[in-house]
Parts: sequence; structure tokens; C-alpha cells
Amino acid sequence: MNIGKADTQPAWCPGCGNFAILKTLEEAVAEAGIDRRKLVLVSGIGQAAKLPHYTRANVFNGLHGRALPAATGIKLANHELTLVVTSGDGDMYGEGGNHFIHAVRRNIGVKAFVHNNQVYGLTKGQASPTSELGFVTKVQTHGVVSVPFNPLALAIVEDCCFVARSYTGDRDHLRRMMVAALAERGGFALLDILQPCVTFNKVNTFRWYKERARPIDDSHDPFDREKALRLALKWGDEIPVGILYRSRRPSFEANSPALAGKTLVAQLAGR
Amino acid sequence: MDINVRVAGEAGQGVLTTGNLLVGALAGLGLHVLSSQSYMSRIRGGLNWFDVRIADEELFSPRRTADLLVALTPPARDILAEDLTEGGMLLFDGAGGDGAVGIEFSRAAQEAAGSKLMANTVAAGAVFAVLGYDCGRLCGYLATQFKKKGDEVVAANVTCARRGAELAGTHAGRIPAPAPAAAPDYLCSGAEAIGLAAAAAGVKLVTAYPMTPSTPTFTYLAAVADRYGIVVEQAEDEIAAVNMICGAAYAGVPALAATSGGGFALMVEGLSLAGIMELPIVIVLGQRPGPATGLPTRTAQQDLKFALSAGHGEFVRAVFAPGTIQQCYELTRRALQTAHRFQTPVLILTDEFLQDLQKNVPPLDESPRPIDRHILEDPSPDYRRYEVTESGVSPRAIPGGEGFVICDSDVHNDCGNITEDLQTHLTQQDKRMRKLTGLTAEALPPQRYGPDDAGTLLLAWGSSYGPCREAVDALNAHGGSAAMLHFSQVWPINAAGARQLFGRPRRVISVEGNCTGQFASVLREAGLLEECELLPRYDGLPFTGEYIVSGVNG
Ligand SMILES: Cc1ncc(C[n+]2csc(CCOP(=O)(O)OP(=O)(O)O)c2C)c(N)n1
Ligand SMILES: [Mg+2]
Repeated sequence: MNIGKADTQPAWCPGCGNFAILKTLEEAVAEAGIDRRKLVLVSGIGQAAKLPHYTRANVFNGLHGRALPAATGIKLANHELTLVVTSGDGDMYGEGGNHFIHAVRRNIGVKAFVHNNQVYGLTKGQASPTSELGFVTKVQTHGVVSVPFNPLALAIVEDCCFVARSYTGDRDHLRRMMVAALAERGGFALLDILQPCVTFNKVNTFRWYKERARPIDDSHDPFDREKALRLALKWGDEIPVGILYRSRRPSFEANSPALAGKTLVAQLAGR
Repeated sequence: MDINVRVAGEAGQGVLTTGNLLVGALAGLGLHVLSSQSYMSRIRGGLNWFDVRIADEELFSPRRTADLLVALTPPARDILAEDLTEGGMLLFDGAGGDGAVGIEFSRAAQEAAGSKLMANTVAAGAVFAVLGYDCGRLCGYLATQFKKKGDEVVAANVTCARRGAELAGTHAGRIPAPAPAAAPDYLCSGAEAIGLAAAAAGVKLVTAYPMTPSTPTFTYLAAVADRYGIVVEQAEDEIAAVNMICGAAYAGVPALAATSGGGFALMVEGLSLAGIMELPIVIVLGQRPGPATGLPTRTAQQDLKFALSAGHGEFVRAVFAPGTIQQCYELTRRALQTAHRFQTPVLILTDEFLQDLQKNVPPLDESPRPIDRHILEDPSPDYRRYEVTESGVSPRAIPGGEGFVICDSDVHNDCGNITEDLQTHLTQQDKRMRKLTGLTAEALPPQRYGPDDAGTLLLAWGSSYGPCREAVDALNAHGGSAAMLHFSQVWPINAAGARQLFGRPRRVISVEGNCTGQFASVLREAGLLEECELLPRYDGLPFTGEYIVSGVNG
């Protein structure tokens, strides 16, 4: 097993939500019956982005903010691989915000599991695009004044194939969301995972999320875009968790004539 | 002998259409043809021109002067008239006089075929007549070109061509033109040659964010994508473009991105990523004058040092700078091979001049001949992506097999996992840098043109090959003693191999499309040069043979 040596021990703080995400991902991959040899974990840079090193899979731990374009290139080269991006809120929505917008539009077959702790962990506690208004940090000394980015609403507006939210306070729910995202065959899947940062986010704690998370009612029709958008706009005392939205859009791969037969890499094999 | 035909007018008037029609038809006669363009960054208005130079022997360079100017607007007539050679002729789309022969191309097209759109064909007919060529050959060319559009379109075009020839009237044959020779019938631009080579070599993913002058390569690849089985994707920005090809290279397919200076600036972090991850990516960098947005549609050789040093940290790369259409093809293939052999990023430096340059050349091989990707088949479960080796090149597997392929932009161990162990860092850094030895051993030596004992040595790199070559011939034809040393690979430089080719010239002149002598400085650093003269050009226009000759003669 080639997952490195002693120093490939998690570099996370005790009590970090990343442990729960890692453990649940292992379970979800097993439950979804994914062949790990065909699994590629792609990440950018941040505490969340280190996750791929702590599991057994192919790994592309690229640049800060650039996980999605790298995952897109890998998927295009070999669309038989399962591409899971596991990265932080800063990585995906800040530095990588433009790629996020366009990966959803493109509808590339990539699963994005975003560890959303509403803060920049690795760089020691600055605000992230999802930090709450008024969130005070050593940089945002008077509190955040920019309105938080709403990834779910944006994804729904862009007609994303699969839009869900979960949190680390309910691993069973998280596992079910991951399995559902992994099973998505249509195209891009977004799973935003609310996660406490025990060191740098004293506002959105484990308890804070636990008290507010409200599973979406079974009667919700995820193909109803307007209702989904209404759910996505809810935040505060009640935070909906579950599958908000689904769409039946052909994936980018399905729309690419060059990928109609063999994968690109298989077209070259044996030459 | 050679003749230069210049078609000039506003953007959107059909300068390009007329020019391309002439290029195709004249090449069809068996003439040697070389075309180049001068255009402004706009869709309408301005002053653009298209030069078609024809000869009975191979051509290498455009020239400043024209023998036949076809002016579609008054400014085109007034501004460009001064570049007419003695005995040259000016055809003007309007009333004649003041030395200009007036032919109303649009009106003639309207009358002859009921559409002003075919004014280009009327103009081509007139040019054929003035040069004394058989209009029947032009009509034959039109028939094959427009065959797909139906008999009516062919007939209308033929009528317009004949009308143009008629309107030339007594001026028919006025300009003595070269006799048709047996030049190759295969036309190609620098932009297309790069695209073709990439497609034939098995590039499977092409990304770009549109930027002149790399766009024609991108468009060419989009046009042939279905034939070769290529995914061509317009990325949201150049950062995405380079990271996409990094992903594709990791997964095992040759991948290429095309851009210009500003876009390359955005790719720099990705280049560094390919350096540490040891990914075989190729970037085509089409230069244009900077800084910043600069002159979008003009040419320059200003990004050499940028290309050599781009990327934070230290890693190895190769940089090719083709000088001819054939080299655009051959070196694109070689760039891809080099990237895969050494698992490192490779750049192709070209520029607006060479991208747009068209010429008839011996046919380029269009058949798919995928390069060797040097991929380790069937890696074992304990496969280590960055195994330390003597050459610095580690066995490269791709994801999907028994061994996991782990890559990291952080410093990593031989497995590819993140580490902050400083000894491991040194071991891996040294491993990567050792690849420079192999890269240098395989570096292409410069090519020498001209006599061994030449008193003047012109140093050239990239697209100035043709103009320098013409300058050498012109200088030597007038009792001079000149030679050229042309570098088509500008990094790494095999100093030992190159040194022997310098000879003992009295004067060494570095001919460069920049104002600081970037290449001379690179050669100095390589220990190949002490002092030298600089013959720069940085007004946005390409070198020509005449320009270099007058620079050499002071
Ligand atoms: C180009 C670039 N800019 C900045 C950084 C520094 N940096 C590393 S991670 C990070 C933010 C991480 O935040 P997030 O993605 O939310 O991950 P977390 O640590 O919270 O899991 C920053 C700013 C970098 N590595 N690269
Ligand atoms: Mg974060």
C-alpha cells in the first residue's frame, strides 16, 4: 500500500470536522461499490485539501483554487474514472470561484465535496467567502462586511445536476448524501458540507450547526427549481440539509463527440 | 525573380478573402508563394493589408515594398503608395488618376453577378491579368474552391474573375511576373502547422482562452477535432486552461494549451505545478508586443526571458522556437516527445508573424502517428510515482491500474505524498533537476546558414529565420560575407555543440524582435558570447530581409 510514510498522518487539529468527513467518505466509497483503482481524489490547497493523502486512492493534490479544472482535465482524459474533489470553502468558492461557476455550467462529471468551515483554516483564520456578516478575524478586524457567498443557490440557478448540503454533526446523513452524489450519473454534483473549525471559527461550532440543521422534508421534489432555490436561500435559525435540487442535463462528456466511444486515453493505448 | 502583391483596405472589406484567394490560385500555378499580414485590432475600419509574394524559387521572408498594390480605400492608396517599387502599379477601387489605375471592383461584381460580395474575385481576376497569368487557371481554381456551394456560385465567381481580367484592359501583362515553377502545392500557415503536428502526434485535449495570435492554432484544432478525436475546450480563463491540461497529462493523454503573453502570465503557477508534479504538458506561446495588452495583432519576440524564467521555484523545461513552417510542425512534435520523455513542461515560442505566415511547403504528414508517452504498463500495488532514479526520470504510471498514482503540488516523497521532511525535499528536488542533463544532451544544435568563414555572423532565433536567411543571401550577393546561426531550441542550450558553429566572425549581430537583446543575454549566460551588436526591431512589424540588410550596413 503506497500511501506514504509516518508523516502522512493527518495534519488536522483534534476535534476537526475533517476527521468525520474522511471517515464517512471511506464508508460511502465502500457502500457505493467504487473500485478504488478507478477513483481519483482531487484537491487544491488548505486543511481540507489534504484529505486525499490520508486515504487509498489516486490523488491529484494540485494548486490552491484549481482543483476543478484539474479534475475536468482528468475526467476528459478518462471518463471511466470517478472524480471526487475534496477541498475547502476558500479553495472552491474563493480562489476557485470562477472555475466553480464554469464547472457547474459545463456539467462535467465531477463530485465536489466542499468542506465548508466558513473560514480559512490553513492560513490561520481569515474570513472565507462563506463567513457570516460581522465575523471578526485578525484581518477583518471590524467584522466581515461582504455578504456570504451562497454556493447552493448559485448551483441551482446554473441548473446543476445534483445540489445537496450536509454537516459533520450527522455522519449517517452525510454518508447518505455522499452515496447519492457518487451515484449521480448526469454530471456535476455539489455537496456542501458544513464543518466546524475548532481552532479558528468560534461562531459556527459543532453545536451551532447541530442546533440549526433541518433535514429537508421527504415531500420536497428536488426537480422543482423554484422550491429548491427557496430552500437554498434559507439560512440562520434553520438550515436545510439534504438534496435540494436535481436536474436531468446531459453531462459535458455525453455531449463530447470525441468521447462517444472509448475514453481518450484508451484511444491511445497500445500504440 | 519575385513579385509582391499587396491587397489593402479596411477591416471587414475582404482584404483577407482576396489575399487568401490569390495565395491559393497563385500556388496552384506552381509558383512559390509566401503571404503575411498586417492588421489592426478591430473588426471594422482601419488599415489592413495582406501581402502575397510570389517567385520562381523558394521564399523565406516578406518584404516592405510592393510591386502591385490593390487599394480598396483612399487611405490604403495614399498611405501605401510610397512603398511601391519603381515601375510598380497601383490598382484602386474607384476612380483612377494620380498614377492609380481605377477599377470599381464592387460595382463590377454587382453588374456581372448581382452581388458586391464577389468584388474580391473581380480584384483577383484583375491581378491575374496584370501579372500576365492565364485567367483560365484562376477560373479552374475557383471551380474547385466553390464546388461544394454549387454550380451557380462557381459560375458567378468565374464571371467575376473574367470581368476583372477584362477591366485590367491594356494593363494586362504590365508587371513582368515569375514563370510558374514546380513549387509544392501544399499550403500551410505556422498556426496550422503547429495544430496539425499536435493532432497527428496524438494530442487529445486542447484548451485555450482566445487570445491573438494563438487563436488560429486553437481554431484549426477545433476544425480537425472530430477527425482526430480531440476534445477542444474553451476554458473560462488561462488558469483553467493550464490546470485542465495538467489533469489530462496526469491521466495519460498528451495535452496542449495555446495562449499569448498576457494569458501565459496567468498560466505561470500552473507551469510551476507541471514542474513539481512532473507532468508532460505543452504550451504554445504566441508572442505579441507587450507590456500588458500591448499591440494585440502585431508581432514581437519579447517573451523569451519570461518563458525561460516563468514559474516560481526551480524546475526544468525545454523551450522551442520554430523558424519555418516545417519547423512549426517538426518542433511541435518534438516538444510533445520531449515533454513525455522528461515528464516536464515544454514551451513552443512563436509569434504573430509566424502564426499568420503562409507558404507552400512539401506536404506535411497528416496521418495520426501518436508519440510514445513512456507510460509504465501494469504498475504493481507498491508503485511509487517519484521513485528516485539516476536520470531523474521516474517510471510514470497513470491512474486506473493496480498502483495508485499520487501527485502533489506540495513537496512530496517518492510516493507522491505531502511531506515537510527537508531531506526528502532535497532528494526530490535534485532528482527533478537531474533531468536537465538529459534535456541538454538532446537539445537541438543551432543551424548555420552561409559560408564557414563569414566575416559577419547574424544570430537569430525563432521566426526571424526566414528574414535573416534572405538578408544573408542579399549581403553575399553584393560582395558581403555573412552567415546566420539560427536557434530553434532556445532552452536548454548545448553550449559545447553550439560553440563549434560560431566560427571566427569579425562582427556578431544578434537579430531580435525586442529592444533589450534577450537572446544575446541568454547566450552570454551560457558562455557562448561576449560582446555583440544588436539589430533590434520592436515596432510591432516583422523583420524583412531588407530591414536586416540595412541594419547590417548601418
Ligand atoms: C495561490 C495561493 N494563494 C494563497 C495560498 C495560501 N492558502 C493556502 S490554503 C488557503 C485558504 C484555505 O482555506 P480553505 O480552502 O477554506 O481550507 P481550510 O484550511 O479552511 O480547510 C490559502 C489562502 C496558496 N497556497 N496559494
Ligand atoms: Mg475553510
